[in-house]
Amino acid sequence: MSELQRLQLRGTAALAGREVRRVFALWTQTILPPFVTALLFLAVFGGALGSRIREIGGLDYAGFIVPGLLVMTVVGQSFGNSSTSLFQAKNEGYIEDVLTSPLAPWQLALGYLAGGFIRGLVAAAAVAAVAVPIAWEGGGNVGLAVLALVICALVFAALGVITGVWSESFDQHSFVASIVIAPLALLGGVFYSADALDEPWATLTRIDPLYYLVDATRGGLTGFHESPIWLSLLVAAGIAVTAFAAATALIRSGWRLKP
Amino acid sequence: MEAISSPALAVERLTKSYGDGTLALDELSLVVPAGSFFGLLGPNGAGKTTLIGSISGLLRAPAGRISVFGHDPVSDPAARLLVGLAPQEIHLDRFLSARDLLTYHGRYFGMMRAEAEARANELLGIFDLGGKAQSKPQRLSGGMRRRLLIARALVHRPRLLVLDEPTAGVDLELRYDLWRYLRRLQGEGVTVLLTTHYIEEAEELCEQIALIRGGRIIDEGSPTELVSAYGGETLEDAYQAAMHG
Repeated sequence: MSELQRLQLRGTAALAGREVRRVFALWTQTILPPFVTALLFLAVFGGALGSRIREIGGLDYAGFIVPGLLVMTVVGQSFGNSSTSLFQAKNEGYIEDVLTSPLAPWQLALGYLAGGFIRGLVAAAAVAAVAVPIAWEGGGNVGLAVLALVICALVFAALGVITGVWSESFDQHSFVASIVIAPLALLGGVFYSADALDEPWATLTRIDPLYYLVDATRGGLTGFHESPIWLSLLVAAGIAVTAFAAATALIRSGWRLKP
Repeated sequence: MEAISSPALAVERLTKSYGDGTLALDELSLVVPAGSFFGLLGPNGAGKTTLIGSISGLLRAPAGRISVFGHDPVSDPAARLLVGLAPQEIHLDRFLSARDLLTYHGRYFGMMRAEAEARANELLGIFDLGGKAQSKPQRLSGGMRRRLLIARALVHRPRLLVLDEPTAGVDLELRYDLWRYLRRLQGEGVTVLLTTHYIEEAEELCEQIALIRGGRIIDEGSPTELVSAYGGETLEDAYQAAMHG
């Protein structure tokens, strides 16, 4: 490794560290809200309404929705962190601090991705710490569920970087979060089984890429799944690599970052 | 590798247009000798900030050639290590304290954490910001933010310091302190490229001055050479004659 590469790696670690530090410094905005939201979903759908819904795949309703709530948490937080942090840095101009540094485009993308990745997983861990003991009935392979959540965090943190680069206003930034990410999460089979839906809802659910991550996480946590888990994970990993490559290419081009 | 005789900065036929069609640099060529104190004078919109942005990686690559101590900043990240930039607009990371801001900057440039922290403390002392080390930028006065911006440019010990109107809006005392410090830096071998609207500042500090207008260098020389070339008694006279001639 050359001296320059060593310096660049240190710089990348520093940018990633700065992003992760921001997550914990703003924990009332980054960790607490998704934790409260997920618990409210669990309380309302799993507790208040859950007793009126029959079992799905042999799981009681609360146990069925917990894996999806974890995925929803990861999706929202990973995406939100990377997109917001990069957009803020760009909008307020202090991104020049890293744009003038010797970091390569892929290292800038990785640095901004790191905060979203960690925030998504920490928020999901906080939700799991409360929800899993209440609703988990055992079974499955927890390692697979963790792998699915990790891949999910990578995909959406990378998409957040792309959105941060693309957004030129708060409106554009929130548009993607509200019109693209939230529907993907809600239509991803968090609250229902695709097998139980009539058309066109079953197809709509199955063309939502998030459905496969929710299904893989559910398969890992409970053993119940509707699609081949490894195929889902493989495709999701491919999407993560593609999204990261796209984020790197955008940063390299300077589009909307440099006049 | 860097040639021994490489100038600190050499730009050749640099041309940069913005999306709205504005031609900011028009085949601009310039050489800044290593170790010099070099001034760039010109009116608003002349291309000074665009030239600086091109050197420091803040703009998409313009047409033409740029070399910083023999390295191309567009394709060679090593060039970035050699340049310290204090931009005209003050943009500082509002999530970090003054000390952390300097430390992180050093680390982005590859410094070890302990080394960057020591350098941050040294610069906070030099720029009289020691008492504000824990303050976030938004809690600092305009003058303090300006000093912090210049300190940030120096953390990684650049060999070419680029200052875009560093004394705009600062009081006289700070301006003189900064002049003294910049002279000291130059004495230590750092090349300084300064843009300013204060002609007396350029006259006081710069050994060489380039006059820029409409994205082109229209003349350059020492202050004395420029005064004698355009007549008049002061650099101000020469500047006015060059810009309106």
